[in-house]
Amino acid sequence: MNESTIFTLSFSLYIGSAFFYLAFLYSKRKAMARTGFILALLGLVLHTLALVLRTVQSGHAPFTNMYESLSFLAWATVLAYLIIEWKFQAPRPGAYLLLIVVGLMALASSPLMPKDATPLVPALQSYWLWLHVSVTLLGEAFFAVAFITSIMYLRAEAREKAGAAPKGTLTAERLDSISYRAISVGFPLFTLGGLVFGMVWAYKAWGTYWSWDPKEVWSLITWFVFALYLHTRIVMGWKGRRSAAIAIIGFLAALFTYFGVNYLLAGLHSYA
Amino acid sequence: MYRAVKNFFTSIKVAIVLLILLISASVLGTLIPQGRPAQEYLVRYGQLGGLFRKLQLTQLYQSFWYIALLILFSLNIIVCTLVRLGPKLRRVFRPKCDLDPKSVQVLKIKDKMKIPLAPDAAKEAVQAELGRRRYRVRGHAAESRHCLLARKKLLGLFGSDVVHVGLLIILAGGIISGLAGVRGSLTLSEGQVLPVPDAGFSVRLDKFATELYPDGNVKDWKSDLTVIEGDKSVLTKSVEVNHPLNYKGFVFYQSGYGSDWEKPELEVWLKKTGDPAYLKTVRLAVGRPAPVEGEDITLTVSRFLPDFVLDENNQPSTRSLDLNNPAALIRAERAGTELFSGWIFAKFPDFAQMHQAAESELKAELKDIKAPQYSVIQTARDPGVPLIWVGCAVLMLGLFLAFYWPPREVRLVLQESQGKTEVTAGGITSKSREAFQSEFESIMAALRKMK
Repeated sequence: MNESTIFTLSFSLYIGSAFFYLAFLYSKRKAMARTGFILALLGLVLHTLALVLRTVQSGHAPFTNMYESLSFLAWATVLAYLIIEWKFQAPRPGAYLLLIVVGLMALASSPLMPKDATPLVPALQSYWLWLHVSVTLLGEAFFAVAFITSIMYLRAEAREKAGAAPKGTLTAERLDSISYRAISVGFPLFTLGGLVFGMVWAYKAWGTYWSWDPKEVWSLITWFVFALYLHTRIVMGWKGRRSAAIAIIGFLAALFTYFGVNYLLAGLHSYA
Repeated sequence: MYRAVKNFFTSIKVAIVLLILLISASVLGTLIPQGRPAQEYLVRYGQLGGLFRKLQLTQLYQSFWYIALLILFSLNIIVCTLVRLGPKLRRVFRPKCDLDPKSVQVLKIKDKMKIPLAPDAAKEAVQAELGRRRYRVRGHAAESRHCLLARKKLLGLFGSDVVHVGLLIILAGGIISGLAGVRGSLTLSEGQVLPVPDAGFSVRLDKFATELYPDGNVKDWKSDLTVIEGDKSVLTKSVEVNHPLNYKGFVFYQSGYGSDWEKPELEVWLKKTGDPAYLKTVRLAVGRPAPVEGEDITLTVSRFLPDFVLDENNQPSTRSLDLNNPAALIRAERAGTELFSGWIFAKFPDFAQMHQAAESELKAELKDIKAPQYSVIQTARDPGVPLIWVGCAVLMLGLFLAFYWPPREVRLVLQESQGKTEVTAGGITSKSREAFQSEFESIMAALRKMK
């Protein structure tokens, strides 16, 4: 079996997982969520295999063009979500997150994305490619989890305010705390991968650790937004709606850093 | 006045406003292209272009007001950190240990029990149990009561302060880079030696090579550089993209390359219109007359242009340094008399507007063009860089402490009650309450088993 077959298989498993998580939302049967979890886990294992094969065949890290990078982001998002679900035993966000993953995989497999493994241009030939991109995308995956749980928080909070009972054990307060925990994993990872490793690599490749390139500025903006989240929350005691809103803005900034900058703003990071 | 200034800088609201301003300004800087020529802004934004330049929006990140924002932000970080440090240090080094059980009962995590031991023995046993769980215990006793304060991972209290110190170190590094950093670039041909500005030493390019993948894409550019001090070679290294050379605080990067069109090697074919079998190949350099083998003809190329174009004054010039439309100004003569002269074009061999001085069936074609390659090496000396790395390390350490090293505190009051000891216990933590709660419960369970 080759890489693209395995990729397609894991894609199908994610679709199956999203289906079962959705079925869990409507049927409220625990077994549905457990099936969703297992399918996502199986998908993750196959996806890992596909990434390893890709690395072996191309001889370089599997995130050097948009197809590879989307595929890796989907992988990281599944990993981040499964960790959070396992830790908090809260399967409700699964449906939404797996839908995001399916979206990323669909985008990756769309004909718009060239899939050929091309040889690396000189600037990307560095082990910092591994460190910088993988850690950053993993951090962003945790932001994606916080994004979903924050949106769910806003809905749950509105419902609870109206007097409705929380769905299952996943109260608004618990969603708020899951968002915070996801960000407290994502923020250090993003800082390390995006900013610190990015600066080290920029210094080695371009001779300057910071050049106000749009992608650099946008990762700084993302970092500032999450710094805002942490300060308003810890020092000013903001919780709930305002906190959730900042977490959502933070993820959108991260998404723009990852995706928008490449297509809308020109700069040094124009590799993909 | 002092108070107002202090309040301004210690206010978290000011910090939040500054953060929001920094975010908005940074976004703006990515929407307006930075550091382009004035003309471009006028074309793009019309009247607004001038305003943007006045407000320094076109050099936003180097602008007076953006730097002022960063400085205000740093001051806010310094003041906020210092103001919060005092109480934290007091909490660590001069903790209060209240003998009144009520002080413990108000805590959120709490428990109460009786241990069948005398107070002194109970105190020893409790202390030993907490010690096993890596808590550091201190306490005092009065009026047959003991108060114990058990704490661990206190460094976690300072996580945010360490993060702030890391940020300030990075900002300090940035200021030093901005003020004392020097950047330059050296354009070197093979064998050429150039002094590095302000360095007191020179570098020589021994060899420059472009490596290609089998499909023709560039794999790497390599410049073999030798550092020369006085007249001695001290260091030789192959500089590649991502592998710079470091010497005495100067760093040398492979940043570009090009062909030296001032010194091309050309191959010209000489043909006869009436004789298809006639072909003479001549290799020649610009400005040096070359004889044609077996003939008494001399060819001279007086000028070469890689991308021929007629400029606004109708004069030949080059549009770029790429080999898009290579052309040579050639002249052939026999025994001092001109046979023909004019521009020949490699891409348009038939398009030669020859000035035929004498009746001649000779025709020249420009066939092959080679030029020595030069390598562009970027030089940088940035004394701010070490601080940046130290700052990054401190920042990461601080984030680790802030998120994953939660300080924990267990307070206990022991008092004698009918020959037994009554223990009131409470726990304090700022983060990961659930994990602490289960540890607290397990400590209480262990205390209950004491005999």
